[in-house]
Amino acid sequence: MKLLLVEDDKEAAGYLRRALSEVGHNLDHAANGRDGLMLAAAEPYDVIILDRMLPGLDGVAILRTIRAAGVKTPVLLLTAMGGIDDRVEGLEAGGDDYLVKPFAFAELLARVNALARRPPPQDVQTELEVADLKVDLLKRKVTRGGKRIELQQREFQLLEYLMRHAGRVVTRTMLLEGVWDFHFDPKTNIVETHMSRLRGKVDRGFDQELIHTVRGAGYILREPD
Amino acid sequence: MVRSTSLRLTTLYTAAFAVAVLVLGAVTLFSTRHALADQFDRRIRAESAAMSLEFHSEGLFGVVEAVHERDRTPGSLDYGVQGPNGEALAGRLASTKTDLGWSVVRIAPKGHGEAIRVLTTALPGGRRLLVGDDEERIEALDATVLRGFGLALAGVVVLGVAGGFALSNQMHRRLAAISGTAEAIIDGDLGRRVPLRGSDDDLDRLAQTINRMLDRIGALMESLKQVSNDVAHDLRTPLTRLRQRLEAGLASPDERESALEGSLADLDAILDTFAALLRIAQIEGGARRAGFRTCDLAAIAATVVDAFAPSAEEEGQSLARTDAGPVQIDGDAELLTQMLVNLVENSLRHAGAGARVHVSTLVTGEGAALSVRDNGPGVPEAERERLFDRFYRLERSRSTPGSGLGLALVGAVAKLHGAEVRLLDAGPGLEARVVFPRPATLGIDNPPVIGGLGRKA
Repeated sequence: MKLLLVEDDKEAAGYLRRALSEVGHNLDHAANGRDGLMLAAAEPYDVIILDRMLPGLDGVAILRTIRAAGVKTPVLLLTAMGGIDDRVEGLEAGGDDYLVKPFAFAELLARVNALARRPPPQDVQTELEVADLKVDLLKRKVTRGGKRIELQQREFQLLEYLMRHAGRVVTRTMLLEGVWDFHFDPKTNIVETHMSRLRGKVDRGFDQELIHTVRGAGYILREPD
Repeated sequence: MVRSTSLRLTTLYTAAFAVAVLVLGAVTLFSTRHALADQFDRRIRAESAAMSLEFHSEGLFGVVEAVHERDRTPGSLDYGVQGPNGEALAGRLASTKTDLGWSVVRIAPKGHGEAIRVLTTALPGGRRLLVGDDEERIEALDATVLRGFGLALAGVVVLGVAGGFALSNQMHRRLAAISGTAEAIIDGDLGRRVPLRGSDDDLDRLAQTINRMLDRIGALMESLKQVSNDVAHDLRTPLTRLRQRLEAGLASPDERESALEGSLADLDAILDTFAALLRIAQIEGGARRAGFRTCDLAAIAATVVDAFAPSAEEEGQSLARTDAGPVQIDGDAELLTQMLVNLVENSLRHAGAGARVHVSTLVTGEGAALSVRDNGPGVPEAERERLFDRFYRLERSRSTPGSGLGLALVGAVAKLHGAEVRLLDAGPGLEARVVFPRPATLGIDNPPVIGGLGRKA
């Protein structure tokens, strides 16, 4: 995957480039907003990682300019800690996701992957399917191997999120935001609890597990090998 | 003193007043003189006519008699009767001029040649009658009027200048009190306030406003100092631990991996604390209020209870709620959710094993309320107020996890919403009740209060 990072800290950028290339991604780095703008407009990237605070040109201003120029590349905004209004502002300016600095690399990777392979928005899915697990979004019906599975509302949303990101790692924070709309980190392990209940219903009693824990990163729902 | 605004103003006013007095004086002088001259002439003309009548009825002798008699009466006019050749027949007045009408005659006898305004009329037989009056009388009146106005002018100037000095002096003293306070604060005496006179005039009100502003700044400074102290104190421990762990990892290669993992966990905890502090500071900044929307407390309670109930169950605790229909308030749903999460987590953590935590939303006479009740050991009344301080933790809770920032954030969110957090005895246990003001009472005139729990910030 070809990624663009707009970030003024060269050391952090160098570290990210090495880490991303280890997982097979190619990272271009722009050290300031002007270069970032030029690269974003000129090259086709899969995802742009944009620091919210750049010397000179503000990240949100760059984002607006990119969007005004018709560039539809998904943008992951890096925002400062504690900036509770940054998220809304960034998303309104055309950002697709945001991540608070400092972040874990696994978190960044999961979000970049989630953004890059986003299905086109006009493609409205009514049914999700992974292996023998089927989710009917309209009837809110879940079956596995033809057997009906009863889920509570929140478990259904959790499964839907995992299915939509099938084959990709989703982090705890992504689930908190995507399923509960919690944009802060509760101390209680609510994700783990709900996940274990969901796995009890979706995986228990079946030969193959579909939901897996990825140590140090999060969860993944994928087809058995 | 030259730069004093009030002195400049009074000088200006005094000058304007003096000009007004001058103009008034000129106008008065002019019109008095005019009226007086007119009256003079009329009197002379009337006397002249009376004398002519005398001549017609009594003849020359009668006129001469009358002139003599009038000359003996003090305060009367001056007279003169001349024969056809200019010889004086009676009276003091004599004129060499032969033409009739008005003229000015100077006469010596009274000493210094005073000017007399004279009306000369013809009497039968070529005789002439002169009637006149001393012009100096008009001039004397002029002088009187001028003197009066001169005195008034002097009075105006003296009063104006003296008043100006007094006023500017007083103004100067009161302004000096304000700038003196400012100087003292610049020099570091942050407790100084502008002295009030208690007169409630504009300067006093200005002083009050300045004092209130200083109080607010002082409170902010105090809060900032408190935060930096807290941060310094509460981050030193985990940072020290982190450092020791890293050093241990460097020293023994076998432990390297576990040391790094432990360090990462320590670092995350430190970052969490930082993030929470920044978030609280941002909320206390109040800018979020601009984004308030109508939100339903019952829906927020449903989300939170639904999210936390399974975890509570696994710990052998219970989390339930009473649903009494939608409870709508104006607020920030994201922050209200986090506030409720913190309250619920706080109850679950401190109420211990087998705790029953109950969330309810209700509308009371005071307004909408959100309540979280547990059946734990509760909190001693004396310590309740301090719970909202950053990093404050009860003695018995020192060993349980938690940053000590959860309730500080609750306090900040409540304050942002103008709500009041009450910690009540649930007998047994603790009830935290957040009471939101009725929409009509939430305004600038009603600053948010955390009644009875007021944080010192």
